[in-house]
Amino acid sequence: MTWLVWRQHRAQFYLGAALLAAFAVVIAITGVQVADQYHAAEAACAAGQGCRHLGGLFLGSHAVGFLVISTLGAPVLVGLFLGAPLLAAEYETGTTQFAWMQSVTRKHWLAVKVSWMLLAAAVWGGVISILVTWWSGPDNAQQLDAFKPGRFDLMGAVPVAYALFAMALGIAAGALLRRVLPAIAVTLAGFIAARAVITLLLRPHYMSAVTVLYKVTGAGYTPAGSYWQIAQGVIGPNGQTLPQPNGVDYLDGIPLAYLPGSCAAPARGAATVPASCSQALAHFRGFLTYQPADRYWTFQGIETGIFLVLAAALIALTAFVVLRRDA
Amino acid sequence: MTPLHGVPDLRGPDHEVPADSLEGTGLGEAQRPPGPAAIATSGLSKRYRKVSALTDCTVTVPEGRITALIGPNGAGKTTLLHLLAGLALPTAGEMTVNGATPRQDPAFLADIGFLAQEIPLYRRMSAADHIRVGAHLNPRWDGASVQERLTSLNIPLDRAVGKLSGGQRAQVALALTLAKQPRLLLLDEPVAALDPLARRNFLGVLAGAVAANGLTVVMSSHLVADMERVCDHLIMLSSSRVQLCGDIEDLLAEHQILVGPRKEITAIQKSHSVIQVTRTPRQLTLLVRGNGPVADPAFQASDVSLEELVLAYLGQDAPPALTALTTEGDDQ
Repeated sequence: MTWLVWRQHRAQFYLGAALLAAFAVVIAITGVQVADQYHAAEAACAAGQGCRHLGGLFLGSHAVGFLVISTLGAPVLVGLFLGAPLLAAEYETGTTQFAWMQSVTRKHWLAVKVSWMLLAAAVWGGVISILVTWWSGPDNAQQLDAFKPGRFDLMGAVPVAYALFAMALGIAAGALLRRVLPAIAVTLAGFIAARAVITLLLRPHYMSAVTVLYKVTGAGYTPAGSYWQIAQGVIGPNGQTLPQPNGVDYLDGIPLAYLPGSCAAPARGAATVPASCSQALAHFRGFLTYQPADRYWTFQGIETGIFLVLAAALIALTAFVVLRRDA
Repeated sequence: MTPLHGVPDLRGPDHEVPADSLEGTGLGEAQRPPGPAAIATSGLSKRYRKVSALTDCTVTVPEGRITALIGPNGAGKTTLLHLLAGLALPTAGEMTVNGATPRQDPAFLADIGFLAQEIPLYRRMSAADHIRVGAHLNPRWDGASVQERLTSLNIPLDRAVGKLSGGQRAQVALALTLAKQPRLLLLDEPVAALDPLARRNFLGVLAGAVAANGLTVVMSSHLVADMERVCDHLIMLSSSRVQLCGDIEDLLAEHQILVGPRKEITAIQKSHSVIQVTRTPRQLTLLVRGNGPVADPAFQASDVSLEELVLAYLGQDAPPALTALTTEGDDQ
């Protein structure tokens, strides 16, 4: 069976390996450059020659930065081009009837095909994740945004789980629809929907977020490390959350409509704050709701687990459909 | 579901007038000692949602026979073959194929060769690739015979099978099916898509392989003429039901055509079951089951051909303007 899988998919294997190799070369070369730049800037900062320019460190590699961000879409590719056709193409061309009439049970046939595909997906997601995680090391240290949506999804364990999920989704769609193009369309839509729903609705709640209150007139509050900010704003005297300030008529993040008239002058830039205004400001509290940096790997683990469970359910559905249905 | 159904021996000794059963094989097997059955089904039925694809099918195929599975399109031929090959599960009934119930088991599958109507092959792979696939997936595999056969037919081994002609693809698929060295070969409309020359080549190769290996074959077709030359056993399906099953020679001997004047046929119906009545202005042609002499001297008996027999049982395939049909046993 393994030989048949290899014979059927060797072209895709070569293409995938070539893409990974090319990506690795680009990442290795630019990654070394980025690391050198970072260490040089760090040394300059330590020598007291200014640390401010660290923020603009990666201006020279926008293209590679874009390439790295675009690996957000890498996991679904295996689902689209390997997973969806895996069974759909066999049903579509009738070759299931060739394979199933060799001296191999349908269960064995399915198990071997699916196992190799899942392994391929894990390797694809894993290699890309390792490269991106390594490349992003200096960037993470500088920007402290590894926990934020869009970066969190590129690194660590989750790309592997996404790729496995995409593959399982493609295989299941192909088994159910038995047509390649509809299976590809369903895989793409399903992957995007699952990722969006879980990222936006579930991920913020894997653990209860921490909320910190601080005086609006003070320096504010910045948690340590690469934390993930969920929400930030101001709470008024009655405990209500104020709308986000828009335009210019606000002071310390508070719209002037909530403040006495004496606050109008400082809002326009006057240096002195009248006492009545200070008194009013003392009744407001700034708040920051966030997930602390030390939860990063817990969140990686939870999200990986969710997508692995989804993938397992899809594989079970595939087995049920393929083994129960008449040829 | 009705295990006794269609087993003529349990119905008493009235074989001469099988008034209610047209599917018994009792007469044929009485004359020729039956080998062990390669296929035996009992009350086999298959429903797809509300459509009945096969109803109460009870047939027997002895080992070593080449069986023609005849019937119009949609009669249930493919369904029966799929059930026998284990590709589909029956809704009701029982069957034994090569001594076992069809199931997902390497040993069972190794003994079955099945060639689907669409001649499924991996279009981008060459015949040589398919030979290697077969070698990996089958305990018995005669890859050399495929090479030999295809070479003798001038079919390139290294070209993607998608680029071969339909006839060549069918030959590749047949050679691969035979390389498995099955005990039972199931072929679904193997020649339907082939031109007459390719059709003759295909059947020739098949007949040669059968002679060499002594395997049992069931092949379906909606054309009688193709099957007549190579087959010695017949299963006829119509509207999902078995109409006839038995040795072709025996079936032909059991039936006769009677030609006589237009008159009442009640006397004949006492000794023979009338399958088909064809009236013309001056005469009456009857196809009857039962090979005994006819009491009425006005009727002349003659032999029946396989095509006439099949058409008579199919009924609706005969020209309706000239026939009044009594297709007895149709509603059992």
